[in-house]
Amino acid sequence: MAEEVKKSRPAPDPNSAKFKLGQIAAKAYSDAMEAKKRGEKIGWCASNFPVEIPATLGLYVCYPENQAAGIAARGGGERMCNVSEGDGYSNDICAYARISLAYAKLKEAPEQDMPMPDFMLCCNNICNCMIKWYENIAKELNIPMIMIDIPFNPDYEVSDAETEYIKAQFWDAIHQLEEITGKKWTDEQFKKVMEYSGRASRAWIEATSQAKYVPSPFNGFDLLNHMAVMVTARGTAQAGDAMETLLKEYIDNHEKGVSTFRAEEKYRIMFEGIACWPWLRVTSTGLKSRGINMVTTIYADAFGFIYDDFDGMCRAYANVPNCMNLEHSRDKRVKLCRENHVEGLLVHTNRSCKLWSGFMPEMSRQIGEACGIPVTSFDGDQADPRNFSEAQYDTRVQGLMEIMEANKGGNE
Amino acid sequence: MKGKELLAQLHEAASSPKKQLEKYLAQGKKVVAVAPVYTPNEIIHSMGLVPMGVWGADVEINEAKKYFPAFICSIMQTALELGIKGEYDGVSAIVIPSLCDSLKCLGQNWKYAVKNIPFIPMTYPQNRKPDYGKKFTKAGYARVISDLTIATGAQFSEFALAESIKVYNEHNAVMREFAEIAADADITAAARNDVFKSAWFMLPEEHTAIVKKLNEALKAGPKAKGKLRVLVTGILADSPSLLKIFDENGVKVVFDDVAHESRQYRTDVPDMENPVDAMAQKFADMGNCTLLYDPDKNRVDYIVEQAKAHKADGVIVLMTKFCDPEEFDYVPIKRACAAAGLKHLNIEVDRQMVNYQQAATMVQAFKEMF
Repeated sequence: MAEEVKKSRPAPDPNSAKFKLGQIAAKAYSDAMEAKKRGEKIGWCASNFPVEIPATLGLYVCYPENQAAGIAARGGGERMCNVSEGDGYSNDICAYARISLAYAKLKEAPEQDMPMPDFMLCCNNICNCMIKWYENIAKELNIPMIMIDIPFNPDYEVSDAETEYIKAQFWDAIHQLEEITGKKWTDEQFKKVMEYSGRASRAWIEATSQAKYVPSPFNGFDLLNHMAVMVTARGTAQAGDAMETLLKEYIDNHEKGVSTFRAEEKYRIMFEGIACWPWLRVTSTGLKSRGINMVTTIYADAFGFIYDDFDGMCRAYANVPNCMNLEHSRDKRVKLCRENHVEGLLVHTNRSCKLWSGFMPEMSRQIGEACGIPVTSFDGDQADPRNFSEAQYDTRVQGLMEIMEANKGGNE
Repeated sequence: MKGKELLAQLHEAASSPKKQLEKYLAQGKKVVAVAPVYTPNEIIHSMGLVPMGVWGADVEINEAKKYFPAFICSIMQTALELGIKGEYDGVSAIVIPSLCDSLKCLGQNWKYAVKNIPFIPMTYPQNRKPDYGKKFTKAGYARVISDLTIATGAQFSEFALAESIKVYNEHNAVMREFAEIAADADITAAARNDVFKSAWFMLPEEHTAIVKKLNEALKAGPKAKGKLRVLVTGILADSPSLLKIFDENGVKVVFDDVAHESRQYRTDVPDMENPVDAMAQKFADMGNCTLLYDPDKNRVDYIVEQAKAHKADGVIVLMTKFCDPEEFDYVPIKRACAAAGLKHLNIEVDRQMVNYQQAATMVQAFKEMF
């Protein structure tokens, strides 16, 4: 047997954005673990729950969606889904939820552990599936559930009635958490958190907008990893610092004419939907090998939580993807496509996400028409590896590439 | 009129909604379609409009595939399909609530797929019990009223609403009474469903009048004997093929927790000074439903309690395929049934089902367990 030759990886630069962002994401788990050991009460938190609330109160929370994505990316998705399905959960249910329900039962996963919760923080601005998922865990573990209901907005703007409803719930949630944890809300601390969140958000938006340059100074798949920090830690000073480092790197890349997209950028697409975490490498390679750079996703816009006051924060949480009507959702994507010189749209029809996929055919048709770009979809899943076909993906991406090539005049 | 004739009348209405629509239109009335699961029908009725239920149908899906991926439930898919194909032509508007993710998508798709029937959103709060929740419910009603006026020209008045609330509360009471009488009366599962289904296609006052007489006839009639008594739970239980399997196997529905059936009639509008406040209070009072925030999982306890109260031998879960809220609730229901010593059966149902052989085998096997 030939001796295994291991490539030694260069030590990561502790001043790089990648290192800093990785540290923040990892630290979120270890901090929560340590807090739990100290006897502090910790929560499980929905990804678009207003992080400003636990951050201001100084609470440690973990994000089951983030954990499920991590477990799926590291190959544990099917195993965990099987556990939930064995308990009677249908395989039609969101795979993040199935993984999370399995974790709530097993209380361990080698791919990504996190402490068991003392309370659940739910917000349904991404989907109503969250409600049922968190209800079941709260009931099973006999812990309190705090529910912030941000209804799907059928209108373009957030109404005053909705803002008022959200605001009342935010205060209700704050008071419930004060009671559960004994921690206190202060306006001074909220101001700080708001500033941190604004700083991180501005840097994130600015960094992702660097894809306006051709070629783009970054590979859009980077965003799928970096956004974890925007989800979980944007209310911290560290997140702002790391995002500003990221922005600086992207500006430097552009000036030096380099990119984290390690291939010649022949085509530029927008990727629509959550990543196929179990097939990240395959989906990434399928694009890179053809010189297709995914230059933008709705995440570039989604985590720009910039607001000036408490009311503004309430409205911001109603203006997240999956909470906006078709027209508003479409216009945000059209803007991203235009600003980033997108030549094609690749849509992930995500078996786990009814809301994200349920009006996507019509919306993507409208985006394609508005931008004059081809649209292709493929079937996949954010965390259950069984719902993806590499062959279908390859064929669809090839087809998209050929149309983009024809549009450039290459096939004439 | 005898019970049989009354049931035939309701069967006719349940199986020919188009005819009912044409009848109301011919009378010069305006009809408003209402999508699952809850809509403020009292308000629609009070404006002189006829609310008619839109729960899809057992039809093939073609056109709706352009809008929905395959993994959206067939109730949404077929409702959209029928809309696209013109089955609802003549309807003035459709009210679609956003109580589940698929309903949110139905509303968005409707705007582009069925352009001749305006979409009116009804946004309910999940935190419906606190005062701020009730206030938001009222904002949702105000939106519906305003959109209905634009779509139909009809005007709203609190006085008329108060009158409609009385009509609906009476209908609720009559339907609740029917469910209780039907638990022991000699009535088939198919006929029981006709009573509930027809309610979606008739004015409540007309339906109340018939069901009142039916209740009297059933009370005086023979009782069912030697049947397997079950509580049925789910979103929808209107498949003729499936109900036939129940009837052929001596399975008697003694109570239901079906969204299309009894869940509609559990909660009355309370007597309050302002009828709009009373409507919001009704929504706040509602519960035991998978689509309404239920952190204590009261629905699960409710199913077990009702099964016991109605002397059910077991519980049949009719699981609408791709209905994730119901799929989440299934596991706690299953566990609660086991803890209470109630046998249960889970049958996946779909408006696209053609072959019911598997369901028949499951029902036969379930019966043999007793």
